[in-house]
Amino acid sequence: MRDAATLIRFEATVLIHLDAAYNLARWLTHDELGAQDALQDACLRAFRFFDSLHGPSPKAWFMAVVRNACMDWLKNQNRRTPEDESDDAHGALAAAHASGAPKTPDSAAARAAEARWVRESIAALPREYREVVVLRELEELSYKEISAIVDVPIGTVMSRLARGRDLLQQKLLGSRTRMKS
Amino acid sequence: MNCTRLAQVLDAYLDSELDRATGEEIAQHLAHCPACTGLRSGRDALKQRLRSQAPYFVAPAALGPAVHRSLTAALDGTARRMRRPSWVQAGALATVAAVVSALAGYWLAQPLPDATLREQVVASHVAALNDVRKLTAITSVDQHVVKPWFQGKIDFAPVVRDLSAEGYALVGARLDHVANRQAVAVVYRVRNHFINLFIWRAAADAPEALAVSSVRGFGVATWAGGGLRFGAASDIDTRELEHFARLVQAQQS
Repeated sequence: MRDAATLIRFEATVLIHLDAAYNLARWLTHDELGAQDALQDACLRAFRFFDSLHGPSPKAWFMAVVRNACMDWLKNQNRRTPEDESDDAHGALAAAHASGAPKTPDSAAARAAEARWVRESIAALPREYREVVVLRELEELSYKEISAIVDVPIGTVMSRLARGRDLLQQKLLGSRTRMKS
Repeated sequence: MNCTRLAQVLDAYLDSELDRATGEEIAQHLAHCPACTGLRSGRDALKQRLRSQAPYFVAPAALGPAVHRSLTAALDGTARRMRRPSWVQAGALATVAAVVSALAGYWLAQPLPDATLREQVVASHVAALNDVRKLTAITSVDQHVVKPWFQGKIDFAPVVRDLSAEGYALVGARLDHVANRQAVAVVYRVRNHFINLFIWRAAADAPEALAVSSVRGFGVATWAGGGLRFGAASDIDTRELEHFARLVQAQQS
């Protein structure tokens, strides 16, 4: 049964994470309207299955629903336009490469350019690395929660996170990272 | 613990995902291995960069209400009745308020023990976040706008510094209370977290070292100096809050 009391409970336990959910949806879909559509869809799904809430935290449970809705949205997009989901990001990144990564942030413009470079570098990560990086670095979720959201073992979360950070570090700091073992 | 193994678990270590024993092994190894310390500083630099520059997409203001509407439409067609508080509830509330204000009068006369102080800083932080529209009375990222705003409102001159280069963006400020004493609250934002920095007149002039602890999941940092008391509260990691507090401390001197 879905009554008004359930809706209040749902809003207090699940919908308080709307910003976090939207942030994830934006990073996954690379699209403002797409993220909103996916979220609307995710909220309805989550509300319908609110009774089966489980996992390490309500936030992780909701984020998993959101992630699935984003995947569905991406699938639909790909059916409509045969482009790869990350084409957009690749294009933007190539443009940023052409203009060169900014140096010392001595002005607001340089800082903005630096921030754009960070954004494009994350956006250009392959999805499986991008999502764990966003969930950890921006949402500060635990490995256990990330593992529940992405639906992979914790060991996989760990290795994807390490690989994703390696890639970002090479791009953003130009530094060598770990030796291949 | 050797270098190959360390490289495999470094991320989990920095994310506080390892058990204590392994953590200590890693700390020991890092203490005398320059190569691994190099790996670690790379990760620290990356974290700092992401923290200060990675965009966080906040949901558009219209999305919450839109979701609420579609969920309401999905309800089982039951008539939604608004409940009004009864007179009994209102009476009970008035009694509680009277008791609270009587207690507050008593508390005011007492010097605040540290634990209570921390609790009060968190209480003021939580109360402020309850209504984000009232979080700041003056909203500006410019310290030269925020600081003059206090003139004539309070009888001390609080330090307000923009710390956005370190990842803590100035949001604004307001007048508030900590434990019934008038305080200014300077609001910072780091990623999607708010930090309330409360500043109020100290009862005594004695400086007090920085103390960081955790109260009900919130981090609290308190210290005193220059005749002022400081209390910072946030839901960020306590280590990060300590970092923030040290930055603020450094700016005062």
